[in-house]
Formats: sequence, structure tokens, C-alpha cells
Amino acid sequence: MNSRLRIAGTLFFALVIVATAVMAVLVSGHWLVLATAGPPLLAILYLGLVRGRRASATRSSPAPCSAPRQRSPKPTGPERRVYDVNDPAYLAQQMLEQGRHSLLLRPQIAANVKPEQLQTAMQCLDETMGIVPEGGVLLQSWRCLMQHDESHGQRERLVHVEPLYLDRYPVTNEQYHKFVESGGYENMSLWDPSIWPAVLDFVDRSGHPGPRYWQEGRYPAGLEDHPVVGVSWYEAAAFARWVGKRLPSDPEWVKAGCWPVLTQGTRPMQRRHPWGDTMDRERAHLWGSGSEGTVSVFELPEGVSVGGIYHLVGNVWEWTSSNYGAWDPAQHKLETAAPMKSIRGGAFDTYFDTQAMCQFQSGENPINRKHNIGFRCALSMCDVVATDLDGMDGEEEALVGCAVGAEEEVS
Amino acid sequence: MTGKAVLPMDSYRLAQYSVQVPCFICEGGNSFDAEVCRHCQAPMALAHQANLRKTPPQLVATIGSADAGKTVYLGMLTDMLSRGHQELQLLARGAFSVSLQQLTVSALANCEFPGKTPNEPDRWNWIHCQVRSPRKRDPAELIMPDLSGEAILHEIDHPHTYPVIRAFLTKCAGVLVLIDAARLMEGGKDQDFFAMKMMSYLSELEDDPKNGWCARPISLIFTKADQCEVCFDDPSEFGRKHAPGLWQHCQQRFKRSRFFASGVAGACGYQNELGGVRQVPLRVEPRGIIQPFTWLVEQIGQ
Repeated sequence: MNSRLRIAGTLFFALVIVATAVMAVLVSGHWLVLATAGPPLLAILYLGLVRGRRASATRSSPAPCSAPRQRSPKPTGPERRVYDVNDPAYLAQQMLEQGRHSLLLRPQIAANVKPEQLQTAMQCLDETMGIVPEGGVLLQSWRCLMQHDESHGQRERLVHVEPLYLDRYPVTNEQYHKFVESGGYENMSLWDPSIWPAVLDFVDRSGHPGPRYWQEGRYPAGLEDHPVVGVSWYEAAAFARWVGKRLPSDPEWVKAGCWPVLTQGTRPMQRRHPWGDTMDRERAHLWGSGSEGTVSVFELPEGVSVGGIYHLVGNVWEWTSSNYGAWDPAQHKLETAAPMKSIRGGAFDTYFDTQAMCQFQSGENPINRKHNIGFRCALSMCDVVATDLDGMDGEEEALVGCAVGAEEEVS
Repeated sequence: MTGKAVLPMDSYRLAQYSVQVPCFICEGGNSFDAEVCRHCQAPMALAHQANLRKTPPQLVATIGSADAGKTVYLGMLTDMLSRGHQELQLLARGAFSVSLQQLTVSALANCEFPGKTPNEPDRWNWIHCQVRSPRKRDPAELIMPDLSGEAILHEIDHPHTYPVIRAFLTKCAGVLVLIDAARLMEGGKDQDFFAMKMMSYLSELEDDPKNGWCARPISLIFTKADQCEVCFDDPSEFGRKHAPGLWQHCQQRFKRSRFFASGVAGACGYQNELGGVRQVPLRVEPRGIIQPFTWLVEQIGQ
């Protein structure tokens, strides 16, 4: 029965790819692109081009980078040029407009991207993502922290984290709208095969594909800068794939917030909150902060972490890629009715200070679409090409992945 | 061998004992230094405090089946209103009025639910508080006990088992009826039947069309709605679909009733213990706690 389902799923996926590819050829005549579209990644890029063209027909002046508005760079660097729709550079331009610059920075793709576009993509990356350095982080049981339990060994574990980029802000409604608009909910290659039957059920109030609290495929007016909520873990993961990123794991998220400082021979010194050890409700949007819903991701800049990442605590809980309890060092683990994914950070309705600490972990059924759960994306540093932009003349790109990535590729 | 001693005779004490102090709930006579009423076990502090006020406090009951969430609801409500962030503000009168708040908040802050309320009335937590609203000049004085769900069920099935419940509900100005939405969603009809029993009991207590329960405000609150989000969208529709008996009862007999949805824990897990499995909240994010109470207080004031 399972094998039949698997075969049916594979056939369905293949049909979708073939049908969209044939349509794309009929519409644009991109034979060359299709000829080299063996790798699924390129096929997805091509589909992005076709959809992006449709979307761009309604826009008058696209920005070079679709970072959150407050931080989006003005049209700097290279002069704007008019691209031919058959020009591969047009594809890259579309991706920049959709905020998918991370895809262009992948070592496998960067070699085929124009230097000025690569520079813009790098600029966008720097402005929209903060760096979490490599190193160890102590994952602690939050009960241990509250009860000042001295039996550290039983209630904490040191985990090594590879260097990564983490979104400075949670994904906003405006960013997510680009994903919905580009047909993200129809592009099955972005979704876990296990969730395909449920994707049709991921609709907004009016039955259109999109987050639960949207209407007619649009977010509520005035909430463009607010974090997107009402999305399941699977929707968050699909969005992350679409932009060429992923969800952060539990240790990565905690490391970004706690910012451990490892001194030789001692335990790492970590913060309870991104801004320090003391709770300050003026720095995070929690219960009693005033507004009863989400606030713009650009508010409360005082709560920024050392690494320049905002709203890690408060506003919305954030999905992580880890299973609930997977990294919990506590001996007596909790059981749940259904497998849960870990969420971190607390939300606008989080009541207790103890539950708005970086170490506090909660869980939620990955298929649930709650009013106070959003997400932010991560990107491993080894997935970003290392470039010397100053001295680059178009051909000189040093495709230097991280050691692990390189080893994997070689093997 | 016995020794002799001289004891002064405090005649004023005899005089105090000769005057009966009526219990504020059941109006039964008690000695001036009784801690709880010897008839109904309600705290006599309520009577002493009420005697100091010009206007007597009004009674608000919170009823529901065992494990419906009465303690958590009342504890969260008092804590939220006493923090001063809301339009409605609550000030406790008497140290005993803070106990429920303390018990609930301490447990929830450690991601635990408070223990089961004992069946003995003298061990219940009572709240006497002052509720201030910007819309009203005079604050309201309210008394709200945390009744045991099992005791309520006993009293409904066998009237006069718990005189305190009967006396309290007779004098109540309004009631918060808590119904477990998660259990309703699972398809169980127990919550519907239990709520219907409670409503029938109320209508039998006072059936006067002007002052009886049919004219008093009733907040029907679906608790644990965080486990069935659809309940938040339209609580009345949820009631019509999942608790048709209760819904029909309210439509026909209780004109001043309204459905609400509330939740305290965002999600729950289970912890295996020696005594069995214990449910624990994975986080606390109160939702829909204040609205039913605000509506009730406004209705009582009308």
C-alpha cells in the first residue's frame, strides 16, 4: 500500500514537472534552459522565471532587493538595466526582487550570476541576515535555570554549532506574500512529500492558498511589516526552501540568542535574554506590552541580540527545524499526544517572564496554524559562496564552501 | 493533685458570644470568632468584611465539571486584572483573597497546572475583591469562590448535600459556566449533559421571571479552546454544533446568556509519574479570559 502511494506520489510529481515545463516552453521558448534543467534546482528556477514574469507584469518599478523595507538598500551599485526576458540575468533579477538572493549565492549557482547581481545579493544577505559564529552552546533545561539547580551535568549539554546566517527579522507578511503570489503553494517540489495531501487544506479565511488569517490571498491591510502568523511548520519550511534557506535548528536558535562566550577551561557564559540576563518588558513584545496582537518587526530595536538579530524574544513564537524535546537535556521528558516541533522565543501573549527566555522551549503540532507562531530562516555559511567583490571582474569568483560542504561534494 | 488559680472573668467576651454573627452566604448564626460558618463552611471573614461596607458585595459563581478549568480560569483572571494592564482592574480584599491567584500563578509559571480543588468547603479558596471600571464611577464589590467541580456535581445530583453551594447560587448576581471545549470536540457528550444539569439546577433554584435565573446574566465559557481553534472563531456556533442541548436550553430559558471561548495553555504535554499521567502546559498564553468576566460585570451593573 505504501509503495503504491509512493509510486503515485512520484508519478504526480513527475507529471507536475513535465506539464509545467512543457507550458513554459510553449510560453517562452526556453529550450536551452530546459536542456540543462536536469537538476531539479534549475527546473525550479525556471518555473520561478515564468511565474516571476507574470508577477512583474503588474509592477512598475521593481527594487533590486526585496529585503524588509526598512533595511532594503536603495538602488545602489550597478545601474539599472532593462533585461530581456530570455536573458538568464533576468531570472537572477527576479530572484533578487523576490528576496531569494540566497539562491544566487549558492556556490553551485554563483558562477553563472553576473558580478553586479552577485554583489547586490551579497549586500542583501548582509543587510537581512546576522551572523552566528561557530562554537559551542549550552542547551539547558529551563527548569534548571529557574530553580538554580546546581546539578548542571544532568540538566544541560554542550552542543557544537556550525557558523550560519540567521534572518535579522522574522519573515513578514509582505515577504510571505511574494511566496504565495509566485505559486509557492502549487509548487510541490517545495513541500515535504508526506504533507502533499494536506497542502490543499492550507488556505486562508476565503479559501485561497495562504496563511490562515489572510483573506483573498492577501494579508490584512497595514500588517505588511508584521511577522506572518497562521502558518504551519510545513509552510514555513516550504517558504524557507523557496528562498534558498532553511529553518534554524534548536541549538542554532539558542546560540543566536544566548550568544555564548567560551573562555578556556570554563563553561560558556550565556545570556538569558538576547539583551542580557535581566528581563526587561520594554525590550520585547510580550503580554501586557500594550498591543494585543503582533507588532511590526522593526519595532523594539532595543531588544536586539549581540549578533544584530531582532525579536528573538517576543512578538511571535518561531518554528525551528528540531523536534520538541530532541535537545532537551532534562531527564524526565514530556510526552505529547502527537509529535511536535520545537518553537522558541515567546510571543505577544506570552504571560510569564520565565517562558520568554532563550532557553525556554515549547512545542506545537507541525500542522497547526496558530495566531502567534511565525518563523525566521537560517542559512549555513557553507551554502554561501565566498567572494572578493572588490577585486572581482566578472570571472574571478572564489567558490569556497566550508570544509564540510566541500568534503561532502568531493565524496 | 490540683492547684488553685484565679482567672479574671472577661464578661465582655460573654457578651460577644451572645450576639450571633450571620454568615454572609447562608445567613446562619455563628459566634463572633468563628473562622468558617458552622452551617455551610464559608469563611466568616466575608461576613466581617461585608459589614464594613456600605453596599453589600455581589456574588459571582464559577461552576463547571471537575477538570473544566475553574481554578486556572479564576486564578488567571484575578492575576491578569490585578496587574493593571487591562481596562478592568481588580484589587483583592483580605489576604485570603490572594491565595488562589498565588496558587495558580506559581504553578503555571513552572509549567504545571494547580492541584485539584478539594471537596471540603472549608478548604476552598475565596476571593473578595473590588473591581474598578473606567465606565463606572463606583467600583463593584464581588465575592467569587473556587468551587470544587465534584462538589457541584454532588449538589446537583443530591440537593442539599453542599448547603454552601445552594445558598451561594441562590444569592448569586451572575454565573460563569465553564465547559471543556476539548472534550466536546472529541465527541464526548458528558460536558453537554453536565452543563444542561447545571442550567436546570439554576432555573429550579430561582424561577421568578423578574429576579430568577432566567433574568440573571450567565457567561458560558468554552475552556481549553486553544486545543480546538475553531472555537475562538464563533463560540456560539461551536456551542450549537457541539453542545446542542445546552445551546437550546439557553435559547429557551436564559435570555441573558452568552457564549465565549478561552484558553490558558498554548499546548499541553504529559508527564509520567508514579501516580499516573499528569497533564502539563507547554506554555502559558491566556486568551479570552477577560471578555466573559467583563461582559458579566457589565450585565450585573445594569
